[in-house]
Amino acid sequence: MSGGTAGDGPARGGDDRAAALRSGPEAERPVVVAEALGRSYRLEGALIEAVRDVSLAVRRSEFLAVTGPSGSGKSTLLHLLGAVDTPTSGRVLLGGTDPATLSERKRARFRLLHVGLVFQRFHLLPMLDARENVELPMSEAGVPRGERRERAGALLERVGLADRLRHRPAELSGGQRQRVAIARALANRPDLVLADEPTGELDRATSRDILTLFRELSAGGQTLVVATHDLELAGGAGRRLELRDGALVRP
Amino acid sequence: MLFRASVRELLRHPLRTGLAVLGVAVSAAMLVDMLMLGGGITTSFRELLLGKGYAIRVTPRGTLPLDTDATLEGADSLRRAMAADPGVAGVAPVLAVRLTAAGTSALALGVDPDEQGVYRLTGGREPASGEAVVGPGLARDGDLAPGDSLVLVAPAALGTAAAGRRTFRVSGTADFVYASREERSVAVSIADLRGLSGRPDRASFLMVRAAPGRDADAVARALSRDFPGVAVASASELVERAGRRLSYFRQLAVILGTVSLFVAALLVGTIMAVSIGERAGIVAALRAVGISRRSLVAALAAESLVLTAAAGVLGLGLGLVVAGRLESILAGFPGLPSAVRFFVLRPGPLLVGYGALLLAGTLAAVVPAWRAASGSIALALHREEP
Repeated sequence: MSGGTAGDGPARGGDDRAAALRSGPEAERPVVVAEALGRSYRLEGALIEAVRDVSLAVRRSEFLAVTGPSGSGKSTLLHLLGAVDTPTSGRVLLGGTDPATLSERKRARFRLLHVGLVFQRFHLLPMLDARENVELPMSEAGVPRGERRERAGALLERVGLADRLRHRPAELSGGQRQRVAIARALANRPDLVLADEPTGELDRATSRDILTLFRELSAGGQTLVVATHDLELAGGAGRRLELRDGALVRP
Repeated sequence: MLFRASVRELLRHPLRTGLAVLGVAVSAAMLVDMLMLGGGITTSFRELLLGKGYAIRVTPRGTLPLDTDATLEGADSLRRAMAADPGVAGVAPVLAVRLTAAGTSALALGVDPDEQGVYRLTGGREPASGEAVVGPGLARDGDLAPGDSLVLVAPAALGTAAAGRRTFRVSGTADFVYASREERSVAVSIADLRGLSGRPDRASFLMVRAAPGRDADAVARALSRDFPGVAVASASELVERAGRRLSYFRQLAVILGTVSLFVAALLVGTIMAVSIGERAGIVAALRAVGISRRSLVAALAAESLVLTAAAGVLGLGLGLVVAGRLESILAGFPGLPSAVRFFVLRPGPLLVGYGALLLAGTLAAVVPAWRAASGSIALALHREEP
């Protein structure tokens, strides 16, 4: 597991590092592995199998799109891969660690350091400006103030918002908010970034900008898994998987 | 960072926050008033008793000062004997007689003008023989000022048929420490009042000052032992007795104060529950991002703390205004010395009350905050995301 330590990740890696991640032996090592993953729950007495027997591996710097109709289990799969939820069968190995074996507190810390999350509705804190929103996970991780301020500025510059550091979410467009959310997801240099319908609330042109940003991040060595309805976004990913009724139909 | 966001959240809804602060402030004001009332009377009663340094009272057995018409016999020899005690710095005799002054009923106090603790001169000078000092009630009703004449008529003394009558010259005006607001008071020398009322060598009570560095309670105990024919009580003993008599005030204050604390906590809890409920999505997202439950609960509790603290400060102001109004109403309580106050600002209990309010307000947010930060993140995100 490398997230949260110095020397790797897109925010600190240079071109050489990115090239090494793309072509070296590390590139072949999976960042996340799902083994016969299942998640079921009871709803009004009926057993719902949201995810069934899903096995997959995502390599470092891979950009994977998970598509499927509403209710097919895309979000649930993302939650399982990101240690937000725990499987009822099978397991997830994220950098060799099975998060389900961790306590609630350690799992939160694990997510903080190793997983970046992007939501359809951005979920930025409205009373913090863009830079403060990006600083938040670093603050929780104990990154010193000066360093996190510098890193947040660099991340916002990277997503094209260098001139919007002090703007609050209400003062930003939908696309800009999502860029702030992506910068926040990258704040602690995670091993894996998961994005759930990141373009769901954005117009076509802005969605293309987000796709371009994801491709740049992937090219820079960042591993990305995106759940989406957006066929253009899915088409721009390096690999695409489709879920139907909780199961992979095109593994 | 999270604390900053949480506290700024209060500013995001100024109307809601303003109303919430006002609501909690009303409860806090009630708490302030109850804290002031809880020990107010006994505190001001203690100040009243100790105001002029006389910390010991000597009365006929079984009575309290100004409680009955009973008097001490052989008051002068008793005074001399007590004054000889090395623990005693001074003894002031007081004879109280209800009589007619300037045609209206008044309380006359016979004192030794050089050693007295029942009034404070506000104008003129101490009375010599044939002179009187009048209180504001009598000065107002009798239109009296220093230099005027004042006729005092005492009821017929025991064993005599005629009432005593004498004209005095007003030498000064004074505030009478133990007089109620409506009371008409006059002070003359004890020798003059004894002569007028036919009570030779009598005193209603003696006021005793302990010698510097001597504990008044210990001196009172020694006098009590040495003079078993009279009742000797220290001010602290009298305060304790008064406190027992007024315990219902304290109980009332404790009950209403506790209720107001609960109301404040319920208000804060309700406001915070609504506010946190509205933020269920962001709370779930922050947990998903890896913000710990402890950080989230602490930030939300801090938000509640700021709200409660602001309400507490406003509540203090409101409470003081209300206490002032209530005090002016209760000051008209018949027979109550005007120097006695019901609402007394005491920093210690007030700080404890403020601390209790902050604690209650903070804890009130912990339950909804903990609930929001404890459920399934995935389920909360499913609810919030389309």
